[in-house]
Amino acid sequence: MKLYEFEGKTLFQKAGIPVPRGTVVATVEEARKAASTIGYPVVVKAQLLRGRRGKAGLIRFAEDEETLSGETSALLSMEAEGEKIDKILVEEKIPKARELYAGITFDPERLLPLLMISTEGGVDIEDIAHDRPERFFTKTLSPLRMPSLARIVDLVLRTGFRGEELLQVANVILKLVQAYFRFEAITVEVNPLMITETQGVFAADAKFEIDDSGLGRIQEAETFIRLEKLVDPLEMEAKREDIAYVRMPEGNIGLISGGAGLGMATMDMISVHGGSPANFLDLGGNATEEKTAAALRIVLKTPGVEGILMNAFGGINNCERMAKGIVRALDGLRPQQAIVVKMRGHSQEGGWALLESRQIPVVKFGTTEEAVILLMEKMKEKGEGLRGHTG
Amino acid sequence: MAILVNQSSRVIIQGATGKQGQYHTAKMLEYHVQVVGGVTPGKGGTEVQGVPVFDTVSQAKTAGMIDASMIVVPPAGVLAAAFDAIENEISLVVIITEFVPFHDTLKIRALALKKGIRLVGPNTIGVISPGKSKVGIMPGFIYSEGHVGIISRSGTLTHEIASNLTYKGIGQSTCVCIGGDRVKGMDFVDCLKLFREDPETEKIILIGEIGGAGEEQAASYIREHGYPKKIIAFIAGSTAPPDKKMGHAGAIIARGFGTAASKIRQLESSGVIVVRSLDALLEEAR
Repeated sequence: MKLYEFEGKTLFQKAGIPVPRGTVVATVEEARKAASTIGYPVVVKAQLLRGRRGKAGLIRFAEDEETLSGETSALLSMEAEGEKIDKILVEEKIPKARELYAGITFDPERLLPLLMISTEGGVDIEDIAHDRPERFFTKTLSPLRMPSLARIVDLVLRTGFRGEELLQVANVILKLVQAYFRFEAITVEVNPLMITETQGVFAADAKFEIDDSGLGRIQEAETFIRLEKLVDPLEMEAKREDIAYVRMPEGNIGLISGGAGLGMATMDMISVHGGSPANFLDLGGNATEEKTAAALRIVLKTPGVEGILMNAFGGINNCERMAKGIVRALDGLRPQQAIVVKMRGHSQEGGWALLESRQIPVVKFGTTEEAVILLMEKMKEKGEGLRGHTG
Repeated sequence: MAILVNQSSRVIIQGATGKQGQYHTAKMLEYHVQVVGGVTPGKGGTEVQGVPVFDTVSQAKTAGMIDASMIVVPPAGVLAAAFDAIENEISLVVIITEFVPFHDTLKIRALALKKGIRLVGPNTIGVISPGKSKVGIMPGFIYSEGHVGIISRSGTLTHEIASNLTYKGIGQSTCVCIGGDRVKGMDFVDCLKLFREDPETEKIILIGEIGGAGEEQAASYIREHGYPKKIIAFIAGSTAPPDKKMGHAGAIIARGFGTAASKIRQLESSGVIVVRSLDALLEEAR
């Protein structure tokens, strides 16, 4: 789960990382109240999950109440990438300071967390890493042992900080490392970390991505559970049923698959044979009768779908149980769409027999491509049949 | 021969007393796997399908040698179960469980590397050497004994390829599902090294997918060290919509790899035959 800046800053505070004083508001009135407590000048920051808010004009400054009201109401009337701005963080403005980028992410080559710091803060940090690697310093972290302060000091020394500032920065970065492990983060970033002359070090931004599988263990994140802003009602329905479902515009073949890899490969094969997938749907490893039925109902409702392919295995799942789900979803229906089911594995005989008793074509020993070709033939037959009726 | 598991492998199942555990203990016994024990803390002294259950892996060890452990406990229990197996130096640990917290897998992987333990998974169907043994949850009857090795990130794609091969009369030496999570134990390169030395394996099918760097690493390994056997690859996800990315940290690291195009290009430049369709895999494996 990706966190909003204000949520990330709550976690930073729990980890002892200083952040500017601030309040989240939803109206101009609340913003005025917050700013008068904090004291002008303030920063007004739209709370969105997207990056590069500065460049997009979603971070503004206010010296007085009049500007604050204007900027807040302007932001609250905006949308960015389809997401309406409904929360604003009003924050004290930190005086001009030296800036540092600090982040920890997962290195997909070494499969270990990587701590990264750079004196070149700012929005285009990935370009810095690429174009000016001499300004970019990294350290691989051990999941079994927290680094000592001395090792962090070694890293920060390379950025040129010395004396009291060196220690302040190293301490905050050590806390960032601790926060990464404590809060089950996949990525945590501060861009920028501000090092002021007199007031110490502040995390001026917070970017967190938390591992969904670890989320339940973080008490501090309990209040972060947010209303899904999924626009598509079918995607909402799938979410409620715990089904991974993604719509593809303009597709004509609906898909139900057991397993994400098989699902992606089936989509590829539909394309290879000249079809166009209308959705990706993965039943996952707990395909009960009810969940399978729900999946089929969603695909039947997916606009543009002329044919449906179910491609699944009885491995962790069970063929008979999934077949029951299909039969249940089709009970009393005479779908316009052609349907082909390819399944094998545990309890395949029972599953096949049930589907065949309802005249649903089953691919038993054929390949995924053979199933795709069969479905396309059935779609053609259906199409001709329909035209025959109306003509 | 085959790799990782064979007829003589003595296997324990951590989580054997659970619903999934009981079911797959029975399925493994049907496949003539030497299941020598189950492990569930607090259930020591009981039995599952006639197999004795122990409280810890060290207790299970007192009853005889153990070559491999299959872990099917719920996600929250995986860290403790895997540490128990690794600390007891069980040489192959296979974590079937899906949704293991990322940080737990980081720790498990680090400990396994430190102790020289082979870790497979999490989020996998496991390993099977058809006709010999399996440490996994795959339906054994859609696999068959032969000379094609399979390495795959996806469980159901492993079923798909292996069963298609089986129905065409092409058997498999060992099928390793390395798992679908971003942090995992053995990767493509580790498996390629083992298949290289296995006289029973003549050809290798590598089934990758978008994301991660394992396929690119396999390509560099093959390029740098050469490879004495035919490798055929398929990368799933060419038509998948690109994942939305947040922040910059991921982009810093992911620059230049992870896409289907990058994986296909690099594997092809290493001499691997990359096919665009699943049926073409069967033709090449013949």
